[in-house]
Amino acid sequence: MRVRQILIVAPTLVSIFLLQSYFWVPTFEDQARGDPGRLTRFIETSIGDASILNPTLAADSASATINSLVFEGLIGRDLDLSFRGRLAESWDILEETYLVVDETQRLPDGTPVTGEGLLRFLERARRSGDLPLQMVWKIELLPGRSKVEQIEVAVPAEDPGTPSKRTIRVTVYQPPRLRFTLREVDQDFFVKLDNLLGGYSERIDPARFLEAAEPIPPNQAAELVPPIEHNPVVLFRLRKGVLFHDGTEFTANDVRFTYETIMNPGNLSPRVPDFEPVKSVEPLDRYTVKITYKRLFQPGFESWTMGILPEHLLNRERLEAEATRLGRDPRNFSARDSSFNRAPIGTGPFTFAGWKTDQFIRLDRFEGYWEGVPNLQAYLFRIIPDLLTAELAFYAGTSDAYSAQPHQVERLQDDPRFQSFSRLGLGYTYIGYNMRRPIFQDVRVRKALGMAINVEEIIDFVLYGQAERTTGPYPKQTEFYNRTVDPLPYDPDGALRLLAEAGWVRNAGGWLEKDGQPLAFTLITNSGNEVRRAVMVVAQNAWRRLGIRVETLTMEWAVFINQRVDKGDFDAVVLGWSMGLDADLYQIFHSSQTGRFQLNFVGYANPEADALMIRIRQEYNHDRQVAMARALHRIIAGEQPYTFLFVGKALTLLDRRIVRMVRDPDGTPRYLPIVPDKLGGIRFHFNEWIKTTQPVLTAD
Amino acid sequence: MLFFLVHTGWKKLWTLFFVSVISFAVIHLAPGEPSQIDPLNPRFTPEQLQRYREAFGLDKPLHEQYWLFYSRLFSGELRSFKDNQPVLPKIVERFWNSLPLFLVGTILIWCYAFPLGVASAIRRNSFFDKITTVIVFALISIPGFYLAYLLIIFVVQTFQVDVIGLRTFGREGISPFLSLMDRTWHLVLPSVLGASAGIAVLSRYVRSQMLEVINSDYVRTARAKGLDEDTVLYKHALRNGLLPFVTILGLLIPGLIGGSVIIETIFAWPGIGRLGYEAILSRDYPIVISLNFIAAVLTLIGTLLSDVLYMVVDPRIRLEGAE
Repeated sequence: MRVRQILIVAPTLVSIFLLQSYFWVPTFEDQARGDPGRLTRFIETSIGDASILNPTLAADSASATINSLVFEGLIGRDLDLSFRGRLAESWDILEETYLVVDETQRLPDGTPVTGEGLLRFLERARRSGDLPLQMVWKIELLPGRSKVEQIEVAVPAEDPGTPSKRTIRVTVYQPPRLRFTLREVDQDFFVKLDNLLGGYSERIDPARFLEAAEPIPPNQAAELVPPIEHNPVVLFRLRKGVLFHDGTEFTANDVRFTYETIMNPGNLSPRVPDFEPVKSVEPLDRYTVKITYKRLFQPGFESWTMGILPEHLLNRERLEAEATRLGRDPRNFSARDSSFNRAPIGTGPFTFAGWKTDQFIRLDRFEGYWEGVPNLQAYLFRIIPDLLTAELAFYAGTSDAYSAQPHQVERLQDDPRFQSFSRLGLGYTYIGYNMRRPIFQDVRVRKALGMAINVEEIIDFVLYGQAERTTGPYPKQTEFYNRTVDPLPYDPDGALRLLAEAGWVRNAGGWLEKDGQPLAFTLITNSGNEVRRAVMVVAQNAWRRLGIRVETLTMEWAVFINQRVDKGDFDAVVLGWSMGLDADLYQIFHSSQTGRFQLNFVGYANPEADALMIRIRQEYNHDRQVAMARALHRIIAGEQPYTFLFVGKALTLLDRRIVRMVRDPDGTPRYLPIVPDKLGGIRFHFNEWIKTTQPVLTAD
Repeated sequence: MLFFLVHTGWKKLWTLFFVSVISFAVIHLAPGEPSQIDPLNPRFTPEQLQRYREAFGLDKPLHEQYWLFYSRLFSGELRSFKDNQPVLPKIVERFWNSLPLFLVGTILIWCYAFPLGVASAIRRNSFFDKITTVIVFALISIPGFYLAYLLIIFVVQTFQVDVIGLRTFGREGISPFLSLMDRTWHLVLPSVLGASAGIAVLSRYVRSQMLEVINSDYVRTARAKGLDEDTVLYKHALRNGLLPFVTILGLLIPGLIGGSVIIETIFAWPGIGRLGYEAILSRDYPIVISLNFIAAVLTLIGTLLSDVLYMVVDPRIRLEGAE
């Protein structure tokens, strides 16, 4: 019967057709043998795809990986994490400071202050070698001028509720000012100057230079006419002859343009916070650019590691032309909409060659790269969303690097097929205590809670040993981390003694209480992070054994952040910070940052730490900054606003045949091992990488 | 018939409207907001967050957002939050990637489920029937991702070939025939896995449907007439037994856009299921709601189609309003 035959034949035919295709597919062996080009292609896998290939707009790590190869910043980090020139050949950091001429005051010699008089007095002091003026290079007198401004002032509301704001007109009589050009940044310049002038700058009243219908609050007056001003200046001397991938030369204009792209509100750049302290970016000539900052903000310097955009491809005219071509409104067409972000052009060692969404991104080497052509012909960024398949692709040779999971490290790190690099992360996991809650206000309680937790045990059993203890808020690889601070000991008995000192004693039922109130709180964390959840359970268990009633709760990330953390509505949290390489802790620990949506959500406040945090971000001298950061680390570790737990480690595996190849002057290749930088990153010499047919270095 | 189409069409439009409202509301009632901002970047100020919200229209009242959203969707102006690409071309591109997987999977399901189901029904309680029952229930109960891992590890380690993605990665400059075969090979595992549960479920339906028909009066009559067993089974019984499956044809249509999240993720298949899944994770509302809406449209078209098909193939069925 026909129907019966169809029922049998159809599945057979379909199966045969599908299965025969196997014979046309190359095995991995064939791939490597039949395709020597594979040795010059580096394939890396990623869980997620890149989203926007423009360094000023990207916020995800996949995009950052690609951008770091296609684009290049003015500066970069060296092997030892100090800065080195990339697109900038060298740089100078100096400072311009401004001082208002206040004619109501008198000079120390009794004469009334005038612009010329003050200038003459200070020039004399400088020539006689007075201390604060030694590093002054130039003093100029700037004339005053007046202007009218509209400002918003907070007026005391009639009914006590929300403070209302009103816009008023203010006439600003900008007084003459002295501008000092300093050879280096000195945050104490005016303190020293005041010693010389007898507290001159402190007596300046900005309100005297303003005229308005109603009184202006002092802080706003000081914004309109700042009595003193610090403007750090970075002078970058750019490398000459550096080309974008389209052959156009990179110049100072591109630097200015990159800055303007970030600050243009229409572009919604996530990098705005890094560049907001910049006052101006002026190209002085084709190869010199002067960056002036609004205020002392040392961490801002690192922002210039960000990739530089080509002005000639993204300027207003180009964007308008593109908008017209696409039939869109040129007024609403921003750099974010440009097709540039899907086919970028930079000055980096690799040029963009193709992007198949959620499949791969391909980069080819840039033959005109200023530092020499990379050894690898191509870089392929392959998207495999599943970890296990990514691992299999690595074993099979269709990807060249793999980041091992903690539980795999022991098995894989001594595998003879691979070379492995272990690195310490930049983030740390902690338990934070809400210090608005009375029970956590006593440092002895916070310390006792920390001492009850066996961190080594968490590292061994939750993280398979792939973590290190940390004692404070800085990454352990940086110099800011104070290695002389000891971690809290694991000592439950000591913890009980500390709690007893603080007044918490065990009742008949074995629970700790004080004045009849039990010691009880809730520990929360976000769901989806197994490590944090495990830490939460371990902590709960440890604290319960002391006699503390601890409840735990996990919440979806958005709820956790919006409903609990941002509102300060929690007792204790398990969380992590991922830190940068700078010394600035202002947002996380300064007492002014405890409001809603701010990051000091535990409410930590310590005047001494506050002062240090401000001085640290204003200090441009590395050694002094390191000394202060270490002192700050010690204070914070002593106060334990967090129980600092651990920093995770990551293991990267590479095919053993991947090495660095450099050529001697006569052209003979020399093979070198891959050396990690101080952070443990292995990409520092990426341009020298090459895959050889067999291992050329002895394994040792 | 025409009246019926207009009548149900009108009803379905209303359904669609409510679906659009509900899917929009559900997404916005869920806590959290989309952003391209790292929530842990210490340097972000609330003002900057506010600017983001304004730019994406998230600060407007919900009904305005609703209006804005769907007018942008229909004018093709809607863009993904994540990478600023227009939503519709993105969905279309993924659709073409998912289509072969869907087609081969469907062909496999229908090619295998019917012979299996019919054979088990005819040989009820035989050894063959029992074995297929065990296998079928195993296929239904084993989680797809687990089976997928087992199969991938087995195939990669035994045959040393690539099975991940649309084609062998890094293989360049090959003839169209080889390329076709390469792509076919990469279809095998995901489509077999995608089809396995479908084969299992559908073959059970076929089996029970056939059993019911075999025991009915007209089959007994056909046998009594002295027709040979093949004619009885494959002409009289099977044709009637197939009737309910016509409705399934219509219900397949929404599967075009559903894709398979798990299979596509494991096999790094750039299909539509993965698009939706990743959009949900990154709170990319435009993609999520658009996919939702398109799926609703397809479902409604599918049910309409199966109603009509049923009417066409079975003269006994007359729908309300058709007369």
